[in-house]
Amino acid sequence: MTTQPTDVPAIQLRGVSKSFRTPDGQEVGVQPTDLEVAAGEIHGIIGFSGAGKSTLLRLANLLERPDAGQVIVHGDDLTAMPPATLRAARQRIGMIFQHFNLLHNRTVADNVAFPLRIAGASPERIRERVDTCLAFVGLAEKAGAYPAQLSGGQKQRVAIARALAPEPHVLLADEPTSALDPRTTQSLLEVLADVNRRLGVTILLVSHEMGVIRRLCHRVSVMEGGHIVERLRIDQGRIPPGSQLAQWLKDYGDGTGDAPEEEVDPTASLQREASHA
Amino acid sequence: MLESLLATFIELLPEIGKAAGETGLMLVICLTAALLFGGSLGILVFLTSKGQVLGRFRRFNLVANGFINVFRSFPFIILLVAVSPFTRHIVGTSIGPLAASVPLSLAAIFYFARLIEQTLRDVPRGVIEAAEAMGASPLQIVRQVLLVEARSGLILAVTITAVSFLSYSAVAGVVGGGGIGDLAIRYGYYRFQTDVMLITIVLLVILVQGIQFFGQWLARRVDKR
Repeated sequence: MTTQPTDVPAIQLRGVSKSFRTPDGQEVGVQPTDLEVAAGEIHGIIGFSGAGKSTLLRLANLLERPDAGQVIVHGDDLTAMPPATLRAARQRIGMIFQHFNLLHNRTVADNVAFPLRIAGASPERIRERVDTCLAFVGLAEKAGAYPAQLSGGQKQRVAIARALAPEPHVLLADEPTSALDPRTTQSLLEVLADVNRRLGVTILLVSHEMGVIRRLCHRVSVMEGGHIVERLRIDQGRIPPGSQLAQWLKDYGDGTGDAPEEEVDPTASLQREASHA
Repeated sequence: MLESLLATFIELLPEIGKAAGETGLMLVICLTAALLFGGSLGILVFLTSKGQVLGRFRRFNLVANGFINVFRSFPFIILLVAVSPFTRHIVGTSIGPLAASVPLSLAAIFYFARLIEQTLRDVPRGVIEAAEAMGASPLQIVRQVLLVEARSGLILAVTITAVSFLSYSAVAGVVGGGGIGDLAIRYGYYRFQTDVMLITIVLLVILVQGIQFFGQWLARRVDKR
């Protein structure tokens, strides 16, 4: 549906930092960090709780304003924008959340229409986009339902349809599968892979689940203590041996409930995925 | 007993009709004021509270909160007397249902503002955040997120306010406000006509039940959560 220049990075975080103080006085957040996400790729951010990965993601659309540094999305510096321009820019940056954050008093179709209404789209365009996006996530028949009538996986699909409605170039995903069971996670990851492959949307995704990173991401940034400590390329689900991440995988498993593996074997994991499908 | 009650009722019917009209007038005026000004004030206080969309306007939040607390700490009957110069200034008199509507509206505005602010806190922060991430302006967040997601709570807030101020309007009757409460006090209390007292109380009970029932029915109907 959308094509965009691949020479400009989709997201550039330049020297961004953000610090918070927790109630017990601990300093958390993001230390001065650089991150570049190429157009068209799925980039994962992984780390333990409190590593600053969600904060880093939320800096990318300025839900958190950095204490310092620049946030550049498709060549435009969000940090330099006045509020109205920033709102317009945000309309092209989709976002999904761990707890879906749907409007509960609106139908599925109205939820998907929401970002378009905000942008002042015409009724015809709204109808067309709602139909297209709900069909894309496989929920066309749920258009008139309310979120309370849906399962967790269905709610996240609606959230994806909502994020896709304004045809974004970039999708930010904050722990999108962490509230879902392994099987639902699997089918949701396929939807996200489709969003990337068929629609060409760049995805920046935060997860603490190793399995999600391995199955979905092209590249991964490993975070610890507010820093990116490792940047890796994931080739067909293979975590480069000798990396910090490979060590974590060995120590803690892939976070999907499977037992830790002795050896990182991509074919084994592919077979397991096939049996889920 | 019942027969004589009925006779009194019929005899007093014109008075009761007039009183009901006055009560209705006071309620309509003070609820309208509460909805318009109290609603806006409550929404603004919510939006400017810590961690919300307009949280950077901290000073406004502190001042508005203080204002609400000050007005809400006045016992109503004191407020009634305290604002009477102001009432005379805008209505021209401090007697009658219109005059009583001024202190009633003042009290209702701050009462309702606090109720609204607290009702809006039930809207999950994440839902508001999602709207922000989609590029919604603060006004769009109010109209399309807050008022939609909190609508059943908001209806209940209006219901509670209506019931409370039906009762407050009787207090306003003491200083010549008129209305059903005034009727109860004049006939039932000052003249020891217990039957009149009974009739007005039955009327008030029916009114309160009706408002409460309708409010809860409507709130349930619009709640899809």
